[in-house]
Amino acid sequence: MAQDPPPGSIVTPDWHRCAESKDFFDRIMHKKKRKQFGLLESPMMAPHVAVNTVHYKVLLSGKSGVGKTSLAARLAGLSIPNMHYETTGIETIVLYWPVKLKENGRVLFFRLQLWDCGENALRRFDHLLPSCKEQVDAVLFLFSFTDRTSFDDLPNQIARWSEPSDRVVKMVVGTKFDLFMHSDVTQREVMQFQERQGLPVLRTGAEASDGLGDVAYFLNCLAERLWHQDCMAATLDSCPTHYREGALI
Amino acid sequence: MLQDGSTQILCLTANSGVPLFTRGASKQLPFSVIGSLNGVHMFGDGQGVVLSSSQTDCGGRVVWRVFHDSVMLIAVNGGHRSGGAVKGHVKGEELFLERLLENVWNCMVLVLGRDELTNTRNVERLKKDLRSCFGLIDQLLEDGRQGIMGNLTHCADCLLPPNPALVQEAVNGFTQSVDSEFGCLVVHGCIAAATEKWWRLAPQEVVLLSALTRMLSASGSASCDYPVFLPQGSPTVAHRLLRFQLLPGADVCVLCGPAPSLHKAQSDLVRQFWSPLAETLRDCLAVGERCLPGTVALRVPDVLALLVVNREARRSVSCVRASADDSPAPPSTPRCWELLRLFYIFAATRYFGQEEAPVSGAAPSEEKAHSRSSSSGDFVAGFSHQPLQCYLVTEECKCYGLQTQQHQLFLLTPLSVPTFALRNVATQTLSAVTADTGF
Ligand SMILES: Nc1nc2c(ncn2[C@@H]2O[C@H](COP(=O)(O)OP(=O)(O)O)[C@@H](O)[C@H]2O)c(=O)[nH]1
Ligand SMILES: [Mg+2]
Repeated sequence: MAQDPPPGSIVTPDWHRCAESKDFFDRIMHKKKRKQFGLLESPMMAPHVAVNTVHYKVLLSGKSGVGKTSLAARLAGLSIPNMHYETTGIETIVLYWPVKLKENGRVLFFRLQLWDCGENALRRFDHLLPSCKEQVDAVLFLFSFTDRTSFDDLPNQIARWSEPSDRVVKMVVGTKFDLFMHSDVTQREVMQFQERQGLPVLRTGAEASDGLGDVAYFLNCLAERLWHQDCMAATLDSCPTHYREGALI
Repeated sequence: MLQDGSTQILCLTANSGVPLFTRGASKQLPFSVIGSLNGVHMFGDGQGVVLSSSQTDCGGRVVWRVFHDSVMLIAVNGGHRSGGAVKGHVKGEELFLERLLENVWNCMVLVLGRDELTNTRNVERLKKDLRSCFGLIDQLLEDGRQGIMGNLTHCADCLLPPNPALVQEAVNGFTQSVDSEFGCLVVHGCIAAATEKWWRLAPQEVVLLSALTRMLSASGSASCDYPVFLPQGSPTVAHRLLRFQLLPGADVCVLCGPAPSLHKAQSDLVRQFWSPLAETLRDCLAVGERCLPGTVALRVPDVLALLVVNREARRSVSCVRASADDSPAPPSTPRCWELLRLFYIFAATRYFGQEEAPVSGAAPSEEKAHSRSSSSGDFVAGFSHQPLQCYLVTEECKCYGLQTQQHQLFLLTPLSVPTFALRNVATQTLSAVTADTGF
């Protein structure tokens, strides 16, 4: 397995705070909110600024109610549903995120498609899981700080993805961290788990905010690992990476 | 009992009366009331009587219906709704509630399949599974407030695109490319184009699939792969509904079998077929809530709201305040939608009678008989002829209904339009909408 890059070693952390990034982040914003892109759209830069877009498929995994749908909405800057409606099939969300590579100062747009599938639907319909797994680049394993069983179930979830041939970025996400008063899972347990599994654990919570700060750390971490995985793969067998021209319409 | 005008849906097991869920109305009915509503129906059953509807003296209404001997649905509507003269004829409310119950049942079948609902071995499990239907049921309850008429009319809400041939061709081509015959383009929640086979689905199914698309689209997702059972056409075998958001507000849907996978369809086919049409799609989006292309000229100040139904095709277009210069004069836009619904109920039940399209496939005859029986108007029954036009003057607006072989028009005008001119405005409006568009 590829060794993990230390956070901040590949992409510029907090780049969204730098003045030079404004032109790029403006492309993913609309009236101070994140812009929503249909499948035919992508961020449009001025013609002389050539920016490559890299495409990745990211699967959200975890039991019903842990907050998969909410996390996808949060990362894409969509309004977070306050009701829990069971997701009764696969729903995907597309988001764009500009990243600056430390190595050479190059800027890339990451196009992340987050795949979210309800657990009950997975159980009832056999065709959904293979579809989720098809050409997946990363899996986020979710547990909720307010649901002990979701934490205890993590090793099972991760085990489903243990084939060594898998070239998949794996990360663990603890949701509902804002409800830590009602937490069922202690920080120590999370630390121990992190060491044992060798997987990074990110935390999210529902504090209301419309800025980018809320998701920047998360998305940069994810982008960094995806990029790292691609670079490793490219050096191993020079397989094609995820480059694709950002089609401009 | 309930807040003004709000409607609550109760669902219980038919044979033992175990509550399964309630939806609608923020405040739930007390358990004892739910028990009594079930009890009184059971009592009737014991006497060989089917209790289907009842009314309280302050205008509240309850409608019962048992589906496949397994699930009982009850709709409760709190009275006192500020309906004015249009609301005076409570009889019509029954039609609305009956259709609502049918729609809710269809939602349950669409998500879970009929077998799951009728072979209930474990009530607790069913209760849990039914939660997956709440999103769609709530969407249906919400739709009425947002200018969607289909759940009431059982006709698909349509948007007439400025360039129908282009989008039709794209829908046909894309549908074929995913090995399907069922495809449609939904713009602002209304159908802008669909394949011939899509239109041959049962009208309730078309309406329901539109509601599902609106729900999925509202969440902002880019694409979906949803297992769906078709309440009439395929209640026990699931199909896949693939949905792709081409532009925010413009979605293409297809019903298909095991292939292609969502990933494949999306990365290979969507761009190939739809990228060349991005501008055309933007033109469709620009039609907006008016649902009619700019070429349709309406007598602007005279039309507050309109609903045109194509009777044979089971399609409808509707809009409120079609004018660009939006005069702030009352009634408000939401109120206009409400008045349009009320007038539809009024005219359709009292004068025009409603036709259900012949349901394709094998719907149990018991159900068909039921939907015809109770709501045909007393008025129509007393005459040997079919009324073709009707009008109504209220404190808020004037209403005119018009029926031809092919179409029905329900029109609201401001009070300023002289009553004698209503017929003229109505005929002109109908021909303006239908002539050039071929609707
Ligand atoms: N307080 C809090 N609530 C959350 C958070 N994430 C999700 N929820 C709530 O948890 C419920 C389930 O979330 P959802 O995303 O639908 O779960 P899913 O079944 O995994 O898709 C919803 O009512 C959310 O509002 C969070 O980070 N904090
Ligand atoms: Mg979900």
